[in-house]
Amino acid sequence: MHVTHELELFPDHRVTQMLFKEVKNAAELRQCAVEGKIKGALINPTMLVNPFQVLVAANKAVNLQKIGKMKTRSLYSEIIFNLSPTNNISEAFKRFGSSDGDDSVLVVLVHDKDEPQLLSDITARVSGRQVPAEDVSSLTDHAKIKKLYKITPQEEKCGTLLDAVVCRMASKDIL
Amino acid sequence: MAQEKSMAIPEFLSKAELLKQGAEARVYRAEFLGKPTIVKERFPKRYRHPVLDEKLTHRRTVQEVRSILRCRRAGISAPVVYFVDYTSHCIFLEEIVGSSTVRDHIASTRQSDCSNELAWLAERVGQILAKMHEEDVVHGDLTTSNMLLRHQEDGESELFLIDFGLSYISALPEDKGVDLYVLEKAFLSTHPNTETLFERLLKSYAAASKKSSAVIKKLDEVRLRGRKRSMVG
Repeated sequence: MHVTHELELFPDHRVTQMLFKEVKNAAELRQCAVEGKIKGALINPTMLVNPFQVLVAANKAVNLQKIGKMKTRSLYSEIIFNLSPTNNISEAFKRFGSSDGDDSVLVVLVHDKDEPQLLSDITARVSGRQVPAEDVSSLTDHAKIKKLYKITPQEEKCGTLLDAVVCRMASKDIL
Repeated sequence: MAQEKSMAIPEFLSKAELLKQGAEARVYRAEFLGKPTIVKERFPKRYRHPVLDEKLTHRRTVQEVRSILRCRRAGISAPVVYFVDYTSHCIFLEEIVGSSTVRDHIASTRQSDCSNELAWLAERVGQILAKMHEEDVVHGDLTTSNMLLRHQEDGESELFLIDFGLSYISALPEDKGVDLYVLEKAFLSTHPNTETLFERLLKSYAAASKKSSAVIKKLDEVRLRGRKRSMVG
């Protein structure tokens, strides 16, 4: 169900993504994350094209954490911030973070090799149906993403929507 | 938290496959976030003053990423940027799997004597460069080695521009003219006796863009005097 990737740059770090549909307690989950009871990032899956997008954000967050250059207060808020094409933190949370009324959520965890405890903790807290993390592509709101990242029709001719999104995420701090 | 250089990237690169080392950077191949990736590392130049070196290297890294983005936004194929690290000056780029350089392609096609295909390619290059100059991107190092050709299953091929390390943004016909002049020099010396082919390239460049006539005029001037205008440096 979940997908776990090793970060090649940081071999003792793994990124796990878990996708839930028909979520009934989004508000409660968000509160838990704010209070630090959930050690993970809660993301609005309609703003995601592919799990790779989350990996790019997580890798950048871990790198910035290691060199002490994070823009936000925690690794998990940094992941959400990195997904956004702009440098506005509150807007990033609003667009990419989970909102109280959402009925789906993608949970991102960064951990070392051992994870079963973490995963079961998340599944216990979420009242919803877990689906394969790859299914995030079926929830994507293409129109909203194109508008937010300002992706032109000509750009889509030379690559996928994912390519365009990843390029903007990687280059946003120099624009 | 103390700001320190992370050892993660040097360690990662030490296990990667070194493809090329130039004067400016080293280019590696590795897998990154599960994808085949090219890493371009601008290493410190000991012969420069450290402060100046840091500044130049940083600016070139930034410039390269900016130009790639600008090209892609205009629909010009260039590798996707996956990740940039400004402390070790590394850019992680999409590997254009299954591609060959235009240089190799021209060399091998000329042996088998398919002049039609080469004419098509020259026209395609001319169009892409016209589009790039319309966006005011000046590449700065146009050679047939910095263009990749990937053949697709449907028989079409896609042309990628790479290595924007010396690129900058300029609307001046002078800068664009020099850009073409550099390509002309490189083109004719790597591929001898291809004057007619290069003419075709220029013709398609001229036809593809409204701003081209001023650039071609400058190119003629630059040919007479060389690429340096101010005679300094």
